[in-house]
Amino acid sequence: MRSIVLLLTILMFSGSVFAECKDKLCMTNESEFQQEGGTWHTFHYNKIFEIGTNWYLIFDYPSGKTNDTISFEFSTGLAKTHIYDPDKETDSVSFSGSSFTEEEFDFPLYITVTGPEGVDGEFIIYVHINKPSADDLFYLWGGMSVFWFAIGAYVLYLSTKLSDLSKKVKNQ
Amino acid sequence: MKYVRELVGGLSFVLILGTIYFGLIHLGPAKFFTAPNAQKLFYLHVPSGIITYLAFMMVVGGSSFYLYNKSSYADTLAKCSAELGLVFGFMSLASGTFWMKAEWGGDIASRFLTDMRLATTLAMWLLYVAYVVYRRQPETVNVKKNAAILGLSGMLMIPLSYFSSRFLRSHHPVIVGTEDQDSLDPSLRLGLYMGLFGFLFLYYFLFKMRFRIEELEKNYLEKRMEDA
Repeated sequence: MRSIVLLLTILMFSGSVFAECKDKLCMTNESEFQQEGGTWHTFHYNKIFEIGTNWYLIFDYPSGKTNDTISFEFSTGLAKTHIYDPDKETDSVSFSGSSFTEEEFDFPLYITVTGPEGVDGEFIIYVHINKPSADDLFYLWGGMSVFWFAIGAYVLYLSTKLSDLSKKVKNQ
Repeated sequence: MKYVRELVGGLSFVLILGTIYFGLIHLGPAKFFTAPNAQKLFYLHVPSGIITYLAFMMVVGGSSFYLYNKSSYADTLAKCSAELGLVFGFMSLASGTFWMKAEWGGDIASRFLTDMRLATTLAMWLLYVAYVVYRRQPETVNVKKNAAILGLSGMLMIPLSYFSSRFLRSHHPVIVGTEDQDSLDPSLRLGLYMGLFGFLFLYYFLFKMRFRIEELEKNYLEKRMEDA
């Protein structure tokens, strides 16, 4: 009984695990990359890209960058380019939850930092594209179980009754 | 001819498996539905509903014959069929409830109270629950007669339930005998007919099994009476 209650509680809250995460604190992964010249970039992201939920990537970069750009590109061609703000040290990009339709594992996201003289650094991070189960699947399996439960239980009832009766007749 | 029951049972198993494969795997999620996955319940929900009506009609037929000529066979037929009607009715009502919750949303209890198709079908099912419960006592002539009268009330309840979605307030879709029947996608028809024949054969298989139990029970009791 306890395990059922625990399971139900987990299932109840599991929906919120995949809610949009826009904060560093809720990001599950952190990757650091060193650029040529020794400066560091830190990327905070969720390793799982849930289809249907916007995906955010927060990145820390050295201050004072001007006119440099950072681009993020998936191998599907989906890309975002960001111009560094010299007054900031942290920024973010987001990809729409409808960017993907199929599941992919260890899907690369190519990150390129471009300065005035060309490419300053290239990094790759890997994410899993996950397709969450549809809400109505619960109702489908619930409804389907009804048939097997009803047929199974009735056949069991009839078989037991038939074998009991056969025994009685035999002993008569 | 010896293994007809087993053959029909096996055939029903194959057809039901075929329906599940066809509905769940072969066809993708349904279009034009709020709950495209839960729509798959259609292939078993509708056949189970039709078999429920068939089973309860058998009760009405058996009961009327019993009242007409006191046929023991007709009485046993009505008794066995009522039990099967409850099983198929449970399947239809419960699967419909899951589908309804996914497709329409809202509160289940208020749907059953306000949608006339749901309310009348539940009432019909409960009526036959009463019938089956009533028959769980020693079978005297009076019990059989009263049960037959109760079984005959299906004459009112079956058409009331079936036609409620056409003439009373109901969200329940109506397909048979309407313009929508012709527009039903052929792929839906194939799955529906497979499910329907699967459940029809299952009904026959279970009915034969139940009937055999009833006959054995009668023979056993008669023998005991003779011995006593």
